[in-house]
Amino acid sequence: MTVGGGPVVEEEKAKGFTFPPDITQLGIISAIIAIIIVIIPGLPAVVKAVGVIFALLWGTDSVRKTSKYGLGTGVPSIGVLAMGYGIVGALVGIAFTKYGSISVGPLEVQPGVLIGVIVMAIVGLISGVLSNNEKIIGMKIPGLERGMTELGMAGTLAMLLQFSIVAGSLNFDVVIEKAISTGLIAVMFVLSMMAMFHPYNACLGPDERRPRTLMVSIEISGLLCIILGIALAANPTSALGIADGISLLIFGVIVWIVFFVMFVKTAMREAYSTVGTGLIKTIE
Amino acid sequence: MDPIILYIVACVLVGGVLASLGVHLLPVGGAPAAMATATGVATGTVMLMLGAAMCGLFTAASVATYTSNIWLVALSGAVASWLMMGVTMLLANLLYVFGAGVVPVSGRVDMDPITKESQKEYKTPQCDGHGVPNVSFISGMIGALLGGFGGALMYFALLKYANFEPTMAGVAAMGIFVANAIIAAYNIGGTIEGFQDPKFKRLPKAILTCGIISLLSGVLVWVVANMGGLIL
Repeated sequence: MTVGGGPVVEEEKAKGFTFPPDITQLGIISAIIAIIIVIIPGLPAVVKAVGVIFALLWGTDSVRKTSKYGLGTGVPSIGVLAMGYGIVGALVGIAFTKYGSISVGPLEVQPGVLIGVIVMAIVGLISGVLSNNEKIIGMKIPGLERGMTELGMAGTLAMLLQFSIVAGSLNFDVVIEKAISTGLIAVMFVLSMMAMFHPYNACLGPDERRPRTLMVSIEISGLLCIILGIALAANPTSALGIADGISLLIFGVIVWIVFFVMFVKTAMREAYSTVGTGLIKTIE
Repeated sequence: MDPIILYIVACVLVGGVLASLGVHLLPVGGAPAAMATATGVATGTVMLMLGAAMCGLFTAASVATYTSNIWLVALSGAVASWLMMGVTMLLANLLYVFGAGVVPVSGRVDMDPITKESQKEYKTPQCDGHGVPNVSFISGMIGALLGGFGGALMYFALLKYANFEPTMAGVAAMGIFVANAIIAAYNIGGTIEGFQDPKFKRLPKAILTCGIISLLSGVLVWVVANMGGLIL
């Protein structure tokens, strides 16, 4: 099962909705935003949700960049790999939360969690080097090392931010009690990997366009926010009480509706022709 | 050095390597098998191995609540994965034979190495085999047994030696297991028939890579348990 086929065409200027940053710029911007949000666990859930969206967007972009050359096992495998690393990295991160925390005004800054991100970057780099090395697995994919490093980091950041949303803190015992033993970690695992691999898996083909693919990722992140919002409203953990969960739920609904409508309109505009099935109204 | 780190790292390492070995033994057909033009079950390695591992982990988790015997837990996981793969391959074969109307036949070997049945005459020209033939079925059963054993061993090590909470141990074991299974899947390029496939000779490369990744994961699990105050 191979993906794409034929020569890989580099990014061309496209019409319609575009993401201004290129792959490297989007990676740097998303990483910085997600890192700033993850080290301050006291922020409201909506702000953390923005961080989750950026982390997953980064992951999607890396999945797209790597799977463009054909992995042999289908696109989903690399998204699952990213979240497998993400879970281990997030556990390492929360184990180091208590080290090096600083109080800045009312907020607590906990840069210790970033150890998990750094460790997973190293593991990702090692697995990328081993997979791409001619003498070992020899996948011969340009940029696989960078792709796996980024996926490990993006998966860890996304998982840590979701722990932080649900538990309201990144302390080891609190996260285990509120986010892991409740079983929410399974929902997070599945939906985060969906947000990473589904966009490129669904949109791939000769007419695949990066901005359109990335819209699907944001849309799935909206769904993730809805589910986490319900979980948070049912079991409030922060000082804002139930309002935190409700605001996250509303944010998720808005993000989902806006990007779903935008994606359907874009897909219909860019299609050669659309035939109505009656399920979704055809736009002329 | 504390023996607990040795137990954790050894169990995670063995689990990861067995996961990688298990993937190499499963008959994975991928997309061509969905059209009955290749040998194997019509899905990707990740889905098959994740399904088998999840069955194994659920059973191991139930058994681990009654006993703290590592072999009992690991074997129960192995048997659950075994059953899951057996049922999957049997039903896939029923669909191939009675639904698609093809004969289960290997595309890579001319003669079944176990039953000595000739394969070549039954293969449709231009196809890469069909269904799950006897040798692939046996190979898949061995693979599921090893993979499930590895997953359950990893779960038990995280649960009892690293003192993780059951959910946390399950999810962490699944994370490490899928990472190893996917690296192994990259090694075989997505599809394999079983141990008779020439691609099986690439096994040492995957074992090396998965060994390194599992070793790192094992050390990380120990770090988590140590820093999180789970090991006293």
